[in-house]
Amino acid sequence: MTQETLLQTLRAEFGAAVTGPDPAAPRRLLLDVERARLPEIARRLIALGARYQVGVGSDDRARGLGFGLIHLFAFDKSGFTTAIRTSAPAETPEFPSITPDIPVAGWTEREYRDLLGFRFPGHPKPKKLILADDWPDGIYPLRKEVPYNLVPPAAEDVAYQLDEAPPGTTMVPVGPFHSSLHEPAHFAVYVDGETIKGCDYRGFMTHRGIEKLCQTQVSYNEIPFVAERICGICGSVHATAYAQSVEEAAGLAVPRRAEFIRVLMLELERIHSHLLWLGVAGHLIGFDTVFMHAWRVREPVMWLSERITGNRKTYGMVVLGGVRRDISPETAEDIRSVLKKVEAEVLGLKAAILKDSLIHKRTKGVGHMPKAEAERWSLVGPVARARSIDIDARRDHPYAAYNELSFDVPTADSCDVWGTVLVRLLEVFESVKIMRQVLDKMPAGPILAAPQEALPAFRHGLSMVEAPRGESVHYVITGEENRPERWRVRAPTYTNLQGVPRMLLDNQFADFPIIVGSIDPCYSCTDRAVVVERGTGRERVWDRAELTTLSRAGGK
Amino acid sequence: MWITSKFKQIVLALKPGRVTLGYPLTPRTAPENFRGRPAWDHTKCLGCGGCADHCPARTILLRDVCPEIRVLLYDGSRCTYCGRCAEICPEKAIVMTPDFELATGSRTDLAQSLELFMLTCSRCGRCYDMENRNAVDRLGLRGYRYDNLEARTVLRRTTERFEPDVLAATETFERPTRMEE
Repeated sequence: MTQETLLQTLRAEFGAAVTGPDPAAPRRLLLDVERARLPEIARRLIALGARYQVGVGSDDRARGLGFGLIHLFAFDKSGFTTAIRTSAPAETPEFPSITPDIPVAGWTEREYRDLLGFRFPGHPKPKKLILADDWPDGIYPLRKEVPYNLVPPAAEDVAYQLDEAPPGTTMVPVGPFHSSLHEPAHFAVYVDGETIKGCDYRGFMTHRGIEKLCQTQVSYNEIPFVAERICGICGSVHATAYAQSVEEAAGLAVPRRAEFIRVLMLELERIHSHLLWLGVAGHLIGFDTVFMHAWRVREPVMWLSERITGNRKTYGMVVLGGVRRDISPETAEDIRSVLKKVEAEVLGLKAAILKDSLIHKRTKGVGHMPKAEAERWSLVGPVARARSIDIDARRDHPYAAYNELSFDVPTADSCDVWGTVLVRLLEVFESVKIMRQVLDKMPAGPILAAPQEALPAFRHGLSMVEAPRGESVHYVITGEENRPERWRVRAPTYTNLQGVPRMLLDNQFADFPIIVGSIDPCYSCTDRAVVVERGTGRERVWDRAELTTLSRAGGK
Repeated sequence: MWITSKFKQIVLALKPGRVTLGYPLTPRTAPENFRGRPAWDHTKCLGCGGCADHCPARTILLRDVCPEIRVLLYDGSRCTYCGRCAEICPEKAIVMTPDFELATGSRTDLAQSLELFMLTCSRCGRCYDMENRNAVDRLGLRGYRYDNLEARTVLRRTTERFEPDVLAATETFERPTRMEE
């Protein structure tokens, strides 16, 4: 299928309910659809083989357009994406819910319920997702009239109402702070004995208001540095994805050499991230030898990043129109020698752990989720590839220099945690392969073509970048004041985390950490959205001295 | 076979030997291109304010105390060491030093401030009149539109419990907008 045939199909079936495509997004099929027929059209797109990515809500009242909601769909096999846009009048921001058909749209709709005050009749779980429990009703932080630094008064005695426990089960809370999760997230796990029968998730405790901040305060070329700080591990992914989406929207050409250098940094990041994950996974199943040695192997990669970019992480390489630092011939040699060493070490690591029966026992059949279910929940990245869903944004929707590079996309068909271990380990070798090709094929030339004039306003740009943990989606609508009008970030964990309750079902409670860990969760990426939160009021405040005494007294 | 895996693991663990570094007892230098604490050379600085304009963390603040003196303050406690200032500087007055051991109890240790003498116009006596008229001011404008030296835009005080009077005592800091209680 091509964009044209899809457009014809939709026009034939829905007639005047589908208009467009809007020239504001030249490379993407941006269609306006009738609000009432949104679920029907979304359902049809899924039936045609689309994968739901995310929704982008926007406040366009200043332009007299009411509220907008764009749902993004990717056709991975055919290599294109489409966006369907609906709008609602400012007084009644009501959109029909597509969640009953597409469960993974659930968070998107809940997010805009919180942030823009949209209403979604028919949503199966219309609960708070993003905002703090004590956030007052009727204030929607992403609306333009709400200042970016608004702090409403805190309220006491409000708490999130967890889902009701299924009959015959007991609730075990995991989090908000838990030793195996490293970041704040609250799972209410419903267990029958040791077996998990259900799970409710309350996260978004680390909002930093990045989207709102960047839409109101900083300028285009400062955002790559803010974007990089969305995630501590795949920062370069977010910076690149942001830059690419603005470049697409504004029609900026990027020098070829810069695109190769971007690929180099993305793959270097993938190697370090997969080794980090492997170590953490070993730690989560109590196998600390793996943890120690995966991280030992990873360390030369961090030092290499430091030599190339000036920092171990947050490389700061990407700006609009290119990259900031070139790769000299000496650096290229340095990279080759580190790659050689890392490849040999990872081979050794793979040989030493993949046949270990302990790892097999702790991962095989654990977190089982059949392919059909994984597709229904739109899983991305290694989590999907471990369930034989052969998707990879690098190959399906090539960006930067990936169209010139050859690599395999490893998949597994075990549909469990074991598959994710295998896929990630094999991907390290693919990354090494890609980096070697980059060094061989990189053309000479400039590394930066800085924009010379103001970027056009109200153009749309979309970028998908395959982060180590899956596909990151950035959507930018350019604005007038040297900053985006709307910038939507969807980290891979945002979709994968929604599938976790299904993965946990009927597993042993002791496997909870490794199942959640298998998606390589990154809560700070997912929680990136809006407005600094304040803690909910507690009945009693323990100060540090009291807590110290309490912990030393053994909890008595 | 799990037993061969165990042997391989022993080899894996023994082969690299000890990898722990002697730092901090053995000093470690940063690599050549490292982005450490930025340092300003006041003899080169023009006072254009380009660094303040482009600082993503808004940690470089500018203010004209009178037409002849422009104060530039770098508040390192919020710096992300992206090195954008050094890259932007038209006179290369900023370098990213290899200093990385920056832990300190006092944020003033990390600050650097320059008092720059700005030439005034011999005819009108004041070129830099805080208006959006000349090229140098236009360069710096976006950097200090929101910031000023007295009211640094950060408020972060940690106490063991929430004290309204501590909050009230920090009035010199600009606070986020509060709603009517």
